Amino acid sequence: MRRRAVPRALALLAVGALLGVTAACGGGDDAGSTGGGPVTIRFDWWGNPDRAEVTEKAIDLFEQKNQNIKVETSYAEFNAYFQKLATQIAGGGAPDVLQMDYRYVREYADRGVLADLGSGASKVDTSGVTQQLLSGGTVKGKLYGIPPTQNTQVFSYDFAQWEKSGAAAPKDGWTWADLKAAAQKVSDSSGGKVRGIADLGGIEDWFEVWLRQQGKTLYSDDGTIAYTAADVARWWEMTDGMRRSGAATPAELTAKMDGSQANDPVTQKLASAGFGYDSGFTAKSWEIAGRELKLAPFPSDTGKLGQYAKPAMMFSISQASKQKEAAAKLVNFLINDLDAGKILGMSRGMPANAQVREAVGGTLTGPPQVGFQYEQTVGPKLEPAPPPPPKGAGTVKATFQRVYDDVIFQRTSIQQAADKFMSEAQKAITT
Amino acid sequence: MQTIERSVAAPRTRAPQRVHRYGERPGIAYLFLSPWVVGALLLTLGPMLASLYLSFTDYDLFTTPSWVGWENYRTLFTDDPRFITAIWVTLRYVFISTPLKLAAALAVAILLNRASRAQGFYRSAFYAPSLLGASVAVALVWRVIFRDWVASPDYALLVVAALAVWQFGAPMVIFLAGLKQIPQELYDASAVDGAGWWRTFRSVTLPMLSPVIFFNLVLETIHAFQAFTGAFVISGGRGGPVDSTLFYTLYLYERGFSQFRMGYASAMAWILVLAIALVTAVLFRTSRMWVFYAGDEAR
Repeated sequence: MRRRAVPRALALLAVGALLGVTAACGGGDDAGSTGGGPVTIRFDWWGNPDRAEVTEKAIDLFEQKNQNIKVETSYAEFNAYFQKLATQIAGGGAPDVLQMDYRYVREYADRGVLADLGSGASKVDTSGVTQQLLSGGTVKGKLYGIPPTQNTQVFSYDFAQWEKSGAAAPKDGWTWADLKAAAQKVSDSSGGKVRGIADLGGIEDWFEVWLRQQGKTLYSDDGTIAYTAADVARWWEMTDGMRRSGAATPAELTAKMDGSQANDPVTQKLASAGFGYDSGFTAKSWEIAGRELKLAPFPSDTGKLGQYAKPAMMFSISQASKQKEAAAKLVNFLINDLDAGKILGMSRGMPANAQVREAVGGTLTGPPQVGFQYEQTVGPKLEPAPPPPPKGAGTVKATFQRVYDDVIFQRTSIQQAADKFMSEAQKAITT
Repeated sequence: MQTIERSVAAPRTRAPQRVHRYGERPGIAYLFLSPWVVGALLLTLGPMLASLYLSFTDYDLFTTPSWVGWENYRTLFTDDPRFITAIWVTLRYVFISTPLKLAAALAVAILLNRASRAQGFYRSAFYAPSLLGASVAVALVWRVIFRDWVASPDYALLVVAALAVWQFGAPMVIFLAGLKQIPQELYDASAVDGAGWWRTFRSVTLPMLSPVIFFNLVLETIHAFQAFTGAFVISGGRGGPVDSTLFYTLYLYERGFSQFRMGYASAMAWILVLAIALVTAVLFRTSRMWVFYAGDEAR
């Protein structure tokens, strides 16, 4: 028996060595395929199934036009997308092309994760995009994200229900008090089954518009918080007032809002109106909502609209990508190709490239057309986008919503909640 | 009972021979162990030591960690109210879900211990939820079924606890094995003495089963401290509403992966490890008072 043990041990060692070799082979793959042969790049983005459908179509066209590049895609909802992205980047598995948000671009650029799209292998043609939009992806003079589209904040409402309830439709110059009165009518006439409006108090984006209407901003140019606890308290006084009067959705419903269609009270027909971005309207929007909606600009008490032309999102290339040229080709295609533009339509917002925008404008029908028209009418009143927010801004946004839950569940007074939010927000920005 | 006796008895006849053979060549045992030893070193011990180091640094996942000493630990205990909230939520969950889960497991195990033709079927049926245990799908279904409770800060935690209790299969199977090991003579004797069901349960079943109860208690307590999936899915990853389901692990995850504060999250992980070690030690201490090992009295 003793004699046979040695060969057995050797055999095991040999198996182990083989496994080691195969592992080494696996690692070597990327390096071997850079020259000429087919390459595979990964493209990750956030969105919904609707957007996925057209994105896949556009990718098919790209692969047809570039036979030697294969594109693997995957998508998730916004929050899940960014959690996954951080993990992937930390683990060295970043996608080659990634969808980046205006709120996070400085955070990622500062950490050296994104490639410069203005020079080198990852250079992309941006001649069709206005400088105003490009500045949203520019950090310390370098371009880290190119917005394929622009969007802006929008109010959308179930006009049939509003008419039925006798609520006055939004018109130019309508005020926050007008909104509350109209929403109240919808709630009352449905016996509370459908609320006039989905509670907007917890979403920092809508708070920002309201702030800007008073000539203030979220962040100063040097990246510090530019509003006070008193501002937050006044905003929450107004929005929580709508909840208390029954005009807005109850706390249990509001707490579930996570940006997904499934948990949106408007989609569930539990609210007749809500705030959002006009890039959210795709071919199936009315089908999903179960009815047609109309779009209007925000209400304002100051005559100032406060909305701005926002880079709806950006495409970035990861600094760690080994296929920057192929990645740049894909970004270029998604932003500048007319056929791609026609396929993608308004699924990511209004195209940033002027030529693409014109080509797309004529082809639209249904909800995307409504979005496009809204963007055209409100366009002249929009202000330029503020510079990308500082590191930690994503945490501040999440904190804003979380602390608002304290308000609507009546755990603390509004003033206490506003103070608590400010102290957490300051910590998130400075540490 | 016959099959079990046979399977227990079978190795005994060959055992002495084997011991002798292994004793001759200890090396071969280590060779066979090596995949797990290597795995434990590289995949468990290595990352643990790395996280211990990281817990003393400011680390944002992408750039080089910078040493901050005890800063993370200091902030946790003195300047982070949500950390304290997370501890309370987790403790409440442990105290609610663990006893209920063990009680459910024991109750079902006792029912299944009776000889019945469909026993195999029932055993599988009760175990099924645990097979699906870690799955996100079940938690999603749970979230839909209990949507009205999930949205309420007063009940959301109970929904997560109920999901855990429902997945009592693993401790149940262990209880079942323990019940089968209790000698029939003891039951016969208590029957002769005229003991009723309750008396037999208290005086025979429970003491004889106490080592198994202890084992399950330790295991399930540790699991409960580490609960994540259910809470993450049911609260949509936010630990809400109003932080009512902000489990320790959920907060750790948020700090590490949403806010990019991996050093801070590592410190939290080590505090959790120490807390679990402490609780386990306390359990072992108290076990001397109530766990009865058959055969001990012979010494």
